[in-house]
Order: sequence, then C-alpha cells, then structure tokens
Amino acid sequence: MLSRRAFVQSSAAAALATRLFASREGSTKPNPELENLGAAALREAKKLNASYADIRIIRYRRQFLTVRLNPERGTGKTLEVPVINDGGSFGFGVRVIAGGAWGFAASPRVNQEEIARMIGEAVDVARANAALKSKPLELAPVPVYRERWQTPHERDPFAVPIEEKLELIRSAAAEVKKQKGVFSSACNLAFRSEDKYFASSVGSSIQQLNLQTYAVVNATAVDFKRGLSKSRRYQPQQVTAGYEYVPVMNLVENAQRIREEVIEHLNAPPVTPGKKDLVLMPSHLWLTIHESIGHSTELDRALGFEANFAGTSFLTTEKMGHYRVGSDLMNIWGDRTNDRGLATTGYDDDGVKATKFPIIEKGIFKHYQTIRDQAPLIGEKESRGCCYADNWSSVPFQRMPNVWLEPGKQETNLDDLISGVDDGILIDGDGSFSIDQQRYNFQFGGDAFWEIKHGKKQGMLSRVAYQSRTTDFWQSCDLIAGPSYWQQWGAPNDGKGEPEQINSVSHGCSPARFRQVNVIQTD
Amino acid sequence: MLTQEEARKLTEKVLSFSTFPECDVSVSSSESAFIRFALNDVTTSGFAVEQSMSISSVRDGHAGSTNVDEFDDNSLREAVQRTERLAMIAPPSPEHMPPLEKQNYATAENYAADTAAARNRAMIPHIRAIIDGARQNNLVAAGFFERTAQTAAIANKQGNFGYGRTTDANLSATIRNSAGSSSGWASHPAVEISTIDGAAVAHTAIEKCLRWKEPRRLDPGKYTVVLEPTATGDLIQLMGFGMQARAAEEGRSFLSKPGGGTLVGEKLFPEFITLRSDPFNKLYSALPWGGGGGFFGGGAGSGLPAEPITWIENGVVKNLFYDRYWAAKAGKQPTAFPNHLILEGSNKSLADLIASVDRGLLVTRFWYIRIVNPKTAQVTGLTRDGVFLIEQGKVTSPVMNFRFNQSPVEMLKNTVAMGQPIRVRGGEGQGMIAPPIVVHDFSFTSISDAV
Repeated sequence: MLSRRAFVQSSAAAALATRLFASREGSTKPNPELENLGAAALREAKKLNASYADIRIIRYRRQFLTVRLNPERGTGKTLEVPVINDGGSFGFGVRVIAGGAWGFAASPRVNQEEIARMIGEAVDVARANAALKSKPLELAPVPVYRERWQTPHERDPFAVPIEEKLELIRSAAAEVKKQKGVFSSACNLAFRSEDKYFASSVGSSIQQLNLQTYAVVNATAVDFKRGLSKSRRYQPQQVTAGYEYVPVMNLVENAQRIREEVIEHLNAPPVTPGKKDLVLMPSHLWLTIHESIGHSTELDRALGFEANFAGTSFLTTEKMGHYRVGSDLMNIWGDRTNDRGLATTGYDDDGVKATKFPIIEKGIFKHYQTIRDQAPLIGEKESRGCCYADNWSSVPFQRMPNVWLEPGKQETNLDDLISGVDDGILIDGDGSFSIDQQRYNFQFGGDAFWEIKHGKKQGMLSRVAYQSRTTDFWQSCDLIAGPSYWQQWGAPNDGKGEPEQINSVSHGCSPARFRQVNVIQTD
Repeated sequence: MLTQEEARKLTEKVLSFSTFPECDVSVSSSESAFIRFALNDVTTSGFAVEQSMSISSVRDGHAGSTNVDEFDDNSLREAVQRTERLAMIAPPSPEHMPPLEKQNYATAENYAADTAAARNRAMIPHIRAIIDGARQNNLVAAGFFERTAQTAAIANKQGNFGYGRTTDANLSATIRNSAGSSSGWASHPAVEISTIDGAAVAHTAIEKCLRWKEPRRLDPGKYTVVLEPTATGDLIQLMGFGMQARAAEEGRSFLSKPGGGTLVGEKLFPEFITLRSDPFNKLYSALPWGGGGGFFGGGAGSGLPAEPITWIENGVVKNLFYDRYWAAKAGKQPTAFPNHLILEGSNKSLADLIASVDRGLLVTRFWYIRIVNPKTAQVTGLTRDGVFLIEQGKVTSPVMNFRFNQSPVEMLKNTVAMGQPIRVRGGEGQGMIAPPIVVHDFSFTSISDAV
C-alpha cells in the first residue's frame, strides 16, 4: 500500500499546470507566470486591432471513486466492483471582439506562441462573422480587478488519501446491501477542482480556485415475479467545499435508511391520479425551481439567443417588473455569493464580481440573469455576473447563478405543511423531469413518495408524477417552512448552448406546499 | 490532429512508461469550427483544438485510470505512474477482463477532407441564406452550424493498436415569427459538409413556421400520429440504452421476461420492424472499434472491432448488447454498443404516410425527452416546432404542442406504416437513421402553451 505522502508528492509532479496553479500561502495576487501568459494574449489582440480580448487558462482535476455491490451472474454471490479515476484537463480559450463581432479559439497547448496563434484564429473568426453582423456588440462596463479567490475550504479533497475515501464508500454500499431484499447497491464520491486564470483588455487579472464535492448512495430492488424494479437514492447536498463536508453527509447512516425505503418503494401501491396537494422537500423542489424559474429568467432565452436549442421563455422582456409568476410568498434570488452554492464563485467569466439580486419579489418577476454583452440590450448599466464556460475550450455565455427560494416564517414547520393537507403527497428527492422550450408545461417525478391523508403522513406510494404550468404551480404555493429547514441541492450537469455546455448550480429552499396539482400515474 | 504514425509513437511512448502487465491507452485529437446565430445575426463562434488521453493500468485485477491532455513526456510518465499508484490502492475488480489481444480493425474510413478543412468562411454563405430567407418573410432565424474532425487511436501492452479518423457536420435552424407565436425547424447532419445546403434547410424551416400559425387546441389523449423522421429518431435512439443484456437478465429492462430470463427470440413487434447498428453505413463516420467495455461499451477492456449488428429483425428481438464481462459469464459473444442505429423503412414518402391516415397528428420533432420508468422504457417529453392535424389524408390545421408519456417500445409495437429512412439529428442525442412512421394510440397527456 502506498502512503499518503508519496501519493500526494508524485501527483504534484512538475507538469506545467501544476506549477502555474500551485498554491501560495497568503498570496492575494495571481501567479506572475500566469499574468505573463495573459499579457501575451492581450498584446497580440491589441496588435491585431481587436477592440476587446480576454483569456482563460484553466486546469481541471476530477476524481471519481465508486463501489458497486451486485450479485454474480449464476451464483448470486455478492461482488464488490470498484472504479477509480483521477484525471484532469488543461488548456486555454481566448475571446476577442473584432469588427464588432465575437471570435473565439482554444487550444490545449499552453505557451506564448500557441496563445498568439489562437488570438489570430479568434480575430479571423470574428472578422469573418462581422460580415453577418447587423450592429456591433456593446459590453456593459466592469471595474478592473487584480485578485486571487478560492472556495472556502478546510481540507483539499485531492490531498485526502484514496484509502480513506474507499473505506467510506465501501462501508456505505455494504450497509445498503445488508437488507436481503436489496438487489444491488452503490456509493460514489466525486471531487472537481477548477483552477482558473482570467485576464482581459479591461485590465483585470483574476486567479480563482473553485472546489466541488459530490456523493451519492444507491439502492435497487427487483421483484422478478411481478416484473418490477425500483430504486432509492440518498443524494447529499452537492456543495462547493472541501473534504471537511464529507463527514457531514452521513453516508453510512443514510445508507441504512434507504435500504429499508427501497423495499417499501418496491411494494408501494400506485398512486390514484387526480388533483392533489403536494408537500415538496428541498431535495425535490430544487429541480422544479431550476427548470421553471431558473431557466425562464435567463435573458439570453428571453431575447431568443437560445431559440434553436434550449428554447425561449414565457417571461418576455415586457413582463419584467410587473408580471405575477407566483403567490406573495414567493421570493427568489439569483446569487453567486451564497455559502456552498455550486455556482458560487469570486468572479464570472466576464471578470464581473459575483453578486446577489432579486429575481422574483412577492410573486412578481423583477430581474433577469445577465452578462456583459446582454445587459445593454434591456437598458441595464451593469452585468449581474452570470457568465460561465464549462471548459477552456468552450465559449463563455450566460449561465444560471444559484437561484434560491426564501424560507417562510420563522415558526412554520414541516408538520404545519402536512397537517393542512387532506389528500396529498410528500415528495423527496428528484426523479424524471421535463419542461417545454418556453418553460410553461412541466412534469416531475421524484425519488420517493408518501401519501398524506387527513393531515397525516402515511405509507409510500409508487408511480407518481405531477404535471403543471409554471405560473399555475407557483400561484398555488400557500405555505413555506421556516429558515431552519432551508437546504440547497443542485446539479453539476445543467445543459444549454450550442455546442452544448454544462453548468453546476444550486437551488436552496425550505419544504413548500402547493395546492391541487395534477398528479398522474406513470408506468 | 494526430496522424497514424504520430499516434503510434505517442501510444508506444506511454506504454513504455508502464511497469504493470496491463496498460490500455486511448487518445484522441480533434478540431471543431462552429457558428451560432440568432435574431437574424451571428452570435458566438469559434475554432477549438482539443486532445485527450485515457490511460488505465491493471495488475491482478487491481485497476486505476486517468485522463490527461498534456502530452509532454513528464506529464505522460506521471499519468501512467498515477494509474499504477491508484491500482495499488484499489481493491481488485471481480469484473475485470483480460486485455484484448491484437485485433483486426477495418481500414476503410469515411473521412471527408472538405469537412475537416472547413472554417467559418465556408459556413457563412449557408447561414446568410437562412437569415436572408427569414428576413424576406419577416421572420427571425436562429441556428447552429458545426463541423468536427477527429483522429483517435487505442493501444495496449499486448500489441493491440487501432487508428481511425472521423468527420461530421450539422446545420440546424429555427425560424420564428416576430410575435413568437409560430416556429419551424429543420436540420441537416452530414459527414461531408459540401452536401449541406443552407437554402434547403431555410426553405423547410420557413415553410413550417409559416404553416404553423394560430394553432388550435385539441384535447390530450391517444392519437394516431405521423412522425417525421427526426421525431422517430428522437425516441427510437433511446432504445439503444435498453438493449443491454445485463439489465434484461437482471429484471431491470423492458427486455426482461417476467419470472426471469430475457425476451430474445420473441416477436414483440410487427413484421416490418428491423432495428440495427451499422458503423459502416456511408451516412455515418465511425471509428473502427466499437466497444466491449462495461460502461456503455467504453472504458477499460473496450476496443472490439466495430461491426454491424441487428438488434430487432422482422419484429423479433435478435440480439442484446453484451460487454466482454457479461458475455463471458453468459457464454455469449461480446458485441459492440448499440450506436449508429438504423430503423429500416420502406419506399413510401412522408406524403404517402399522411395520405394513409384518416384522422391523426403530424409531428415535426420532440423535445426534453426523459426516462420516466427504465423498466418499461416509458419516457415523457413534448412536441416542438410544428404539430398539424391530419384529416382524411390531408394536413388541415396547426395544433398546439402536447406533452406525451409514451414508451418507444410500445410505439414500435403500434407502428402500422413506415417511409424512407434518412439520417436525422434532433435537439437531444446523436441521432440515427430513421424513417417517418405511422403509429396508433400515441399517448399525449397534457397541452403545452409553448411555441
């Protein structure tokens, strides 16, 4: 077995990316070598008469560990199947404006010559595109920053011994499999770091480290006689944090819970379809917030930039400031500053400082998510800091900040929500999800469903999904639990754009109640 | 991009750093050029060079893997060492398969030099045709034109080596009226970019947008539908994931037989349903290997030669996807993963199919399709960019969009007629070769206000 020290030392071999992004105790300014590379890009862009330029030099690290326990074919003996991957990626992307149009180029070869070559490619792309441009781009102003920022963390997840991580996920997967009716179980841990340097012709020079930590425990049960298969998942809140968050996830303790619940799910009666009241837990409601409010308030969608792929939005620009989306209880924020949110960072990919802004106030639509080249299109004077690209080889564009729902009154608890329901369902965890291209009509499943009858939580149900229209749904929200229940779940893989890019984003909320929603019975 | 010789030298170098008995290397290098447009204007656009290498080392079943895209000697040596250190820590995998011996890969390739060389200036005339067409009709165009070229190689310590090159391109356009009350869409995926015609894409999308005006509200329910080829492909491509032998044998798939076993050999579909994979079809550009690994055919242990395979033949389930481990356990031959799908059709045109329907709905394409129940393959999603009522064999009026809850498996069982297959690529997934089809009892469950 290898010692932790040997592993860490050799992982930090003298590759260029490691050297450029090496941690420097107490440093508040970017690495000088990165600043030199950035300056080379900006010099070349100026030489080629680009009116704006920026460069992002990025190193990703991704570590993924999983253990699956499943029966061997033929013998039924439980096999433990591990997978360990520790990899990364390193490269740069440059953006320019030339002739009033954007150009972009990217390469994995991080050196001054290649950076100059790619600036040339980007300028060439921009000038070719300018032939189709009807009016030149305008960027909202941004202050100049020279800064170093990192996700607050106590323990670097990549420095934690693999053995420690393996022991944890093996224990959690084994706990699930202790229940005889469980067919298979799995547990995984995943860590992602993004070391990013940004320099722009505005004069900013920003180095950041974003750290994300994920885990999940799965249980699957199969009834061969009845031809049924059901699963149950424990998905801890996904966070920007270090390894110190992993013990807080309580993977083993929750593994014990889901091994019982998967059996109950397998044997649960199907739901009777019809209009029902829903009590939605934060582990479930995050996704409904994401799809119905997060995406509908993206300015690029509202303007038509996403018309060919992700779609447009029912929240067209004339509705901003006065259109009622939900009930008075509904207050929603766009926020890239909140503690542990997956979209939380120091600065966006336009070099705009992370901020927090109201999206919905007392049910009324107030503000869009914006970036520098969009804000002027609706007469706004500054960007709301929502620019992001998922890779060094991807073009930065408008991506969702953390979009979260304010909790209800201090004293409101979960029992208050349930006790007011005569015929309803409590839903935990996310499941199947689908919404139309303008964000009106949606359908959501879940991971587990409990019937609520006469104000009391009953046994589990199966085959549940609900369908609604965004504004009908949010206007039916009549109670939200208090701040002590507020939690944020999210996703690392929100898709948008062409070529398609992913984004990590969190959506905090407390449990909330929705009246008379259309519940259907699925297969 | 890496030539065959460069790829061979690079992989040999990586393997020379290995001290374990098993080391698998997979390397790819690619170039892409793309233009996005919206609001009758170009928006973002770029040129990207990428390279990536996956390395997996194994000793006595203990495995570790990494990805790296720095190809200097130090980075590659360190990457191999990292996989070996991970493997020393990892418990042995009971599902690990011995490395592949030397394989014979097809040397033929479908690589279009014009696609690989094309840059923005070659794409712009086609985008101009779409934008000009939209403007002439007081409409608004958005879309995306992308071309990619890739070279890839695989190698291992047992002497196996494969190299391949691919190219692909796709132009898609959405045309909306300025009020946002009508929308049309068209796309053209092709290996050779020179075969893509922006004016033709514009014509189809504009015509659809102009026809889909003031759609009427019809009740949700079960309808006979005529699916255009893209709509067929949007749903049938999902069946590839469902062909896994392991899920079927473990009771987790629509191909599981109640009480145990699989439905292989059973006639589940009408006589005229044949679904197969063909990486050598001239409409596809594919690498000469096609899987065999445990995770969707990839990962360590993959690298079996690509081959055509029939999954459903004349309505009978003929084959399931066996990765190398599951095949060894089941005493079967491993297969490539169900990619490069083709649903066979007939010589009938879309117009013939429409003419055969007394009352039904014509669907352009589907959107936001997600699995509801993996066991039955039920999915939900919505129609998009044009739904029309068919009455007595004629398209009569536009109809508002619907949400559906429908299994593509049940859909194929209820298919009554098929037309000429073409290569399609909708908004989600890689697409396939699919015909227009007529399906009875397609289940729409609610109305969407979206346009």
